[in-house]
Amino acid sequence: MSAGRRGAASGGGDEMDWAGWAVFGLLATGALTMVMIAAQMAGLTRLDLPLVLGTLVTPDPDHARVAGFFIHLAAGQIFALGYAATFALLGQATWWLGGLLGLLHVAVALTIVLPLLPGVHPRMASHRAGPSNRAALEPPGLLALNYGIQTPAVAVAAHLVYGVMLGLLFQVR
Amino acid sequence: MEAEQRGPENARQPDIGDYGLIGDTRTAALVSGAGAIDWMCVPSFDGEPVFGRLVGGPEAGTYRLGPAVPTVPAQRRYRPETATLETTWAVGEGTLVLTDAMVAEVRGQLLPTTLLVRRLTAVGQPVEAVVEFDPRLGERHVRPRVRSGRSLVCEWGPLALSLGSGPELTIETGIPSSFVVIPGQPVTLVLAVAYGEPLVQVEPDAAVELLTADEELWRAWAAEIDGGTPYRDAVVRSLLTLRLLTYSPSGAPVAAPTTSLPEFPGGIRNWDYRYAWPRDASIGVGAFLGVGKAGEARSFLRWLLHASRLERPRLPAMLTLTGRHVPPERTLTGWPGYAESTPVRVGNGAATQHQLDGYGWVLDGAWVLVEAGHKLYSETWRAMRGFADLVARRWQEPDAGIWEIRDDAAHHVHSKMMGWLALDRALNIGRTHRVSQRQQQRWHAAREALAAEVRLKGFDPDGNTYTRSYGSSDLDAAVLILPLLGIEERDSERTRGTVDAIRRKLSAGGPLLYRYPPGRDGLPGVEGAFLPCSFWLVQALAETGRRPEAAQLFEEMLGLANALGLFAEEMDPQTHAQLGNFPQALTHAALVQAALALRESEG
Repeated sequence: MSAGRRGAASGGGDEMDWAGWAVFGLLATGALTMVMIAAQMAGLTRLDLPLVLGTLVTPDPDHARVAGFFIHLAAGQIFALGYAATFALLGQATWWLGGLLGLLHVAVALTIVLPLLPGVHPRMASHRAGPSNRAALEPPGLLALNYGIQTPAVAVAAHLVYGVMLGLLFQVR
Repeated sequence: MEAEQRGPENARQPDIGDYGLIGDTRTAALVSGAGAIDWMCVPSFDGEPVFGRLVGGPEAGTYRLGPAVPTVPAQRRYRPETATLETTWAVGEGTLVLTDAMVAEVRGQLLPTTLLVRRLTAVGQPVEAVVEFDPRLGERHVRPRVRSGRSLVCEWGPLALSLGSGPELTIETGIPSSFVVIPGQPVTLVLAVAYGEPLVQVEPDAAVELLTADEELWRAWAAEIDGGTPYRDAVVRSLLTLRLLTYSPSGAPVAAPTTSLPEFPGGIRNWDYRYAWPRDASIGVGAFLGVGKAGEARSFLRWLLHASRLERPRLPAMLTLTGRHVPPERTLTGWPGYAESTPVRVGNGAATQHQLDGYGWVLDGAWVLVEAGHKLYSETWRAMRGFADLVARRWQEPDAGIWEIRDDAAHHVHSKMMGWLALDRALNIGRTHRVSQRQQQRWHAAREALAAEVRLKGFDPDGNTYTRSYGSSDLDAAVLILPLLGIEERDSERTRGTVDAIRRKLSAGGPLLYRYPPGRDGLPGVEGAFLPCSFWLVQALAETGRRPEAAQLFEEMLGLANALGLFAEEMDPQTHAQLGNFPQALTHAALVQAALALRESEG
């Protein structure tokens, strides 16, 4: 994407780049997913986002990974909406701004979203689980450290890729 | 069976035959009579050991659950027609029962890929028990990063184990902890394994329910085995063992779940058997088909087609569970080995050998399937035709033979006979499957030439027996398959002479046989009697009209199984101690084949 497209801002209140959101959100989520899967395959983390998300809707891990992949894509689009809105509000979209948003995004994910997950996830262990609980995913814990000590680093790298890609690809008119 | 004694000065290891097998058809664990899991690899049979004390010494980790004071088990058994192992100790006035099993069927449920359940129950009086959980990973015995919460979690990068208990016990890694088991209040420990994915933790009561459901599955599986099969209990145990040693995700049959259990204590014949040998597996195909389990036979052929695709028409001597090249052989430094039998090896150098007999076993397996009324898929038949073509082209070359001798290649008579079998079975299958006339003629010509050469160069007229290799007077117990092939008449003088000569000259006492004259494999030291050969002798006797002898020999062999009906690859002829990797799929497949031969000879 050319610098001209990225730098074409004209102050606050710019229009949303809806086409960019639709396409680049998917691309950035795809890249984030690839980083996570590569890290998982390299043994750096046991965090398996499609599995964790897919088991929200089905107990079958094989089906869950398929469902979770699409849930993850949808979630990526929703987050991309936030990025697009921020770029439009600030009137610029740059790689470093995307990177900063990525850091904010991962900080929220690791410190708020994942630790809160057991509260809404029907198949994740919680400290309040009773005898009817049969089998459950281990909760990710703070910074998702329960899924491997390098998980936060992997998550930061993946979200940086996501944010930087959106910053590079988005056009602010 | 002697009790296990602990302590570095007097560290006596349990006998190999003291172990029982539990498994989930993805990996397996060996449990000693003291309740110690001394061997378990994750996440699959050929993964890294987390409990490796069997060949890695105390530093390699163990997981013991049993009476606080080491006690000789009063009884060990599998629950009938299941994979659940029970060990019972009489302790003082009370009795302690350990139930061990892994949950095999986890598909479609949110469960860990490997779920090992251990439950202690006391009868009569409360009994003091101990748990020692000391997992170490791989070659360097790496200690885990440990977290404690509702469960004890041990992590090594992508691998995590979680140990939960009900009622809750305080367990620390590497430190034995004692507790009292009260009658009516069993203690359950649940070990969950996660590799590259989040841990799934299972409540102890739910784990026991899963185990009960799994037992029902195994019983239903065993119930399909013909009730008229002679020696049915032993046959069912062997088939269950073969199934436990089949890697369900791919259908690959693993030769044994262990590496480097010695063929003689203190010796160097210590090999890694955690791979799939097409030859051995084909024998298993016959075993499964013989009892009407076509699904397992087809599953093997599917795996073989997938696994051999890249090297076809060459058939590798062995492959990994996922059909890849077996890793190069190397020695684990610092591993003391079982009974100081070093080196401890991983990988297997025999993987690159040319072994002509493998083609015969595989084509015979396909023929057995066709004979049973199944039609080969076109892709299967294309692969088989390729194998037959290769045999027709290369049968005149020397090979490493069935025993994978690490010496110069030779013209092994058994290999030539199996080459003949490959061509013969290809011609048989060709009667009902599409094949060109020219190809058939080529196979036919090669088969006839091969038969003529073996009869001329592989037979010793003075001893009236087929020999081990051209120009040698040594015998080879693998040639006992002669009556099954058709290269010689079953009642011919040559067949009878060969069976008798092998039985006489390779006898290791009682029903046991050496595979070839001891020490004639270019390696120093000795080895035990080779158990599959005894079952092949049973088959040979049954096939040549000597059923009473065969039945007697078979019963003597069954008497040599361990208390759980399991066999290793070899046995010490003097002490009857099990030797070699354990339990051994080939031995159990040969046992089933022998029982089926006895059934056939009944009429």
